[in-house]
Amino acid sequence: MKLVFYSGGDFEENYELDKLTLSLCDTNTPKMTFIPSCSYESEYDFKHFVDQFSRHGVSQFLHFPIDIPFDTTLLKEAFKSDVIHLDGGNTFYFLKYLRSSGMMPLLKEFVAKGGILTGLSAGGIIMTPQISTAGFPEFDRDDNDVRLHNLKGMNLVRFEFFPHYKNSKRYDRDLRAHSLTLDHPLYGLPDGSGIIIEDHSVKFHGPCYGFFKGKKMIINSRLPLKKYSSFENEVGTIVNCDTIN
Amino acid sequence: MTKLRKTKKQVTPQQNYKRFSSVDGRHPLQKAVPDSAVNYSVRTRKGGKVAFFNFDLAKEMGLIQKNHPNELTPELEQEILNTFSIVIINEYDIENEIKFPKKEIRKHQYMATRYLQLQHPNKQGKTSGDGRSIWNGSISHRGKRWDISSSGTGATCLSPATHLHGKHWKTGDPTISYGCGYSEIDEGMGTLFFSEIFNRNHLETERVLGIIEFSNGIAINIRAQQNLIRPSHMFNYLKQGDLENLDLMVEYYIDREIENGNFQDAPKSKKKRLDYFLEKQTEIFAKMSAKLEDEYIFCWLDWDGDNILMNGGIIDYGSIRQFGLFHSEYRYDDVDRYSTNIIEQKNKARYTVQTFAQLVDYIKTGERKSLKDFSKSKAVKQFDSCFMESKFTNLLEKTGFTEEHIEFLSKKHAKLVVEYQKVFSYFERTKSKEGLHEVADGINWSAIFCMRDILRELPQLFLVRGENLSYDEFINVIKSSYATKEDLELGSHRKKMINEFQSIYWKMTKLIAAHKKVEVNKVLLELTMRTSVINKYDRVTGDSISTIVDKVLKHRPRVKPIQLYSLLQEFCDYQNFDPAKCINVDRPTKVQSKFMKNMLQIVRDYREGL
Repeated sequence: MKLVFYSGGDFEENYELDKLTLSLCDTNTPKMTFIPSCSYESEYDFKHFVDQFSRHGVSQFLHFPIDIPFDTTLLKEAFKSDVIHLDGGNTFYFLKYLRSSGMMPLLKEFVAKGGILTGLSAGGIIMTPQISTAGFPEFDRDDNDVRLHNLKGMNLVRFEFFPHYKNSKRYDRDLRAHSLTLDHPLYGLPDGSGIIIEDHSVKFHGPCYGFFKGKKMIINSRLPLKKYSSFENEVGTIVNCDTIN
Repeated sequence: MTKLRKTKKQVTPQQNYKRFSSVDGRHPLQKAVPDSAVNYSVRTRKGGKVAFFNFDLAKEMGLIQKNHPNELTPELEQEILNTFSIVIINEYDIENEIKFPKKEIRKHQYMATRYLQLQHPNKQGKTSGDGRSIWNGSISHRGKRWDISSSGTGATCLSPATHLHGKHWKTGDPTISYGCGYSEIDEGMGTLFFSEIFNRNHLETERVLGIIEFSNGIAINIRAQQNLIRPSHMFNYLKQGDLENLDLMVEYYIDREIENGNFQDAPKSKKKRLDYFLEKQTEIFAKMSAKLEDEYIFCWLDWDGDNILMNGGIIDYGSIRQFGLFHSEYRYDDVDRYSTNIIEQKNKARYTVQTFAQLVDYIKTGERKSLKDFSKSKAVKQFDSCFMESKFTNLLEKTGFTEEHIEFLSKKHAKLVVEYQKVFSYFERTKSKEGLHEVADGINWSAIFCMRDILRELPQLFLVRGENLSYDEFINVIKSSYATKEDLELGSHRKKMINEFQSIYWKMTKLIAAHKKVEVNKVLLELTMRTSVINKYDRVTGDSISTIVDKVLKHRPRVKPIQLYSLLQEFCDYQNFDPAKCINVDRPTKVQSKFMKNMLQIVRDYREGL
């Protein structure tokens, strides 16, 4: 299983993480499929995505919006890619259309067969057991305009993901509270940080904070400079970290 | 998830509205060609409120300052009403000696212009023209002069109703509908949405400056354009053999185009000026008709030159449609006759050019020859070649090629481009076996292939697989919802065409790559990104605009002018298909409003329709 969680951030902030993503590929000429969270103005985001990976030498890209009708030719080609990227946006809307377009089982199958699935923000949240982290804190949450009741995600990992995290009390209050309801960890990642899953290992890239049973732990506090700073451990288990009460 | 952003608080600067006072009915045409205008005194019309104001356009015209907030302040609303909420004192009022308070009567007279109209009993344009419009005046800003006219300002003597019934009508008389001199708000809204999208996509068009709403859906729709002269403003004098006024009108038009910087290199001598005028008009009409055809825009062009502006601008959106597919057999049912179809537009435009050639010769020689004598004139030949050239350019543009690519392919590989046009047309013009059938407002024979879909998807499919699509895959991408199983059968000819389409596409991209000394993948990637904007899945059609306008009108009591303006801006931004504007710029993250989402759904539902 090869997964990469992107928190967010700009072009430069994700340079190293992009390199790590590409290092998971078995080929030097990977094909990448971009699935926007919403087709509305997704041309801009696709262009951004292409620019982001072109600088690493990638030249084959597919733009595949799933909230509008698509033909099977495009669908088949998308799942032949080496990397499928789920972009950011409104998590509820994205999940609704991933489900209604029949993408959920196909994406799981893609991952099971060794395909690399990356998710930015909302895209990353959807890869976890449930998307409840999209619904808080109140001042920075997605609106559930599509009235989605089933909040189950793809359940590809045993943790939850909170992107665009800011190391502050008002975020921590809600994250700690939510972690009390879980029996697995919740990771809060600031922009530019990421999580890389390769088979049974998890690597944290850049600053990362864990929340478990109401407690906050620093997993990585350093900014990645030239080489990524991360460490490996078991999937979903936090070791070697400082606990902040 | 979306990130939070702080917005800066706007400070409202001090505004002045003195330029509104210069829009007072006076217009240069009144002096240049006095015969072309029927001048009316006007009076204030009460009870109106501003339903919409186009801040962007008003700034472009210099009516309001550039730093004016997009906010309809009470002062601005009052200024708009003072300037535009007027009604003419017409022949009926005078005949019936109706008195109006002096203070309500404006200082200057406003003109209704004379022009030829085929639906009018007099086929020479002696009694036809603006039947329910007047020209508010003109305003000059930054080297451009704008004409402003308003529709729904009262029944004029140039309305068909006046001559059909042999009497003058009271403004607002409910027994005569169209001839009563009023306009409706849905006409203004339809024009507003369509024209703003066309303008955003570089199509010449009249635009809506504002809408003033009265009770019962009645409205004054204020329109602006850099030159509101139509061919029919000249053709009436040509038909009447009125050389003097024809000459004056042509000279007026040329001078205005020079003033606006469009006829930059116009010669000074009379004869050369006329030749230049003919050459320019031929080019404008050839390019315009090719563009309409390639953008699937149905505009009812006819011999009278009424439904189009001299500068090729679209006017009168009542019969304008934009199709999702090339529904080339669609005809509008206008009670006693069917309209032209989209393919016949070219012939009508050519006929207009032929008439331009006739009128130029008439002015030069003083002798009005038969129109037939000009059927093989230099202008008509120039029209045909310019039309074809424009078709090639438009097709390459739609395919996603840049200006540089287009120039290279057109100049160095013209034969290949011609072949591409042929095979493209084969798919574009293939129709359903269902045949001709009735639709809501006319007849149609449905096209079955969506060319925008294949143009959007083919480069990226080529990019990731490096080889042709199979026949089934190709059909799978290009088929529209109109196609039945029977329509999609793969005969040997269709298979040949699929191969040819893909082969030419590869050839063109490889030629560009070799010319630019880059890898083919780079060209395909550029095409992928450009065509994803140009051939966006969600493109408006005539039906979607009508449905959206209906929705907007239903919500109207609750939608304030500023909300309508913001909604329109957002919608038009989304319907901007210029790849340079869309993909090469940073844009702020937008949160779609609920209304916008609904509008988008409507666009999707009607995307392949009429």
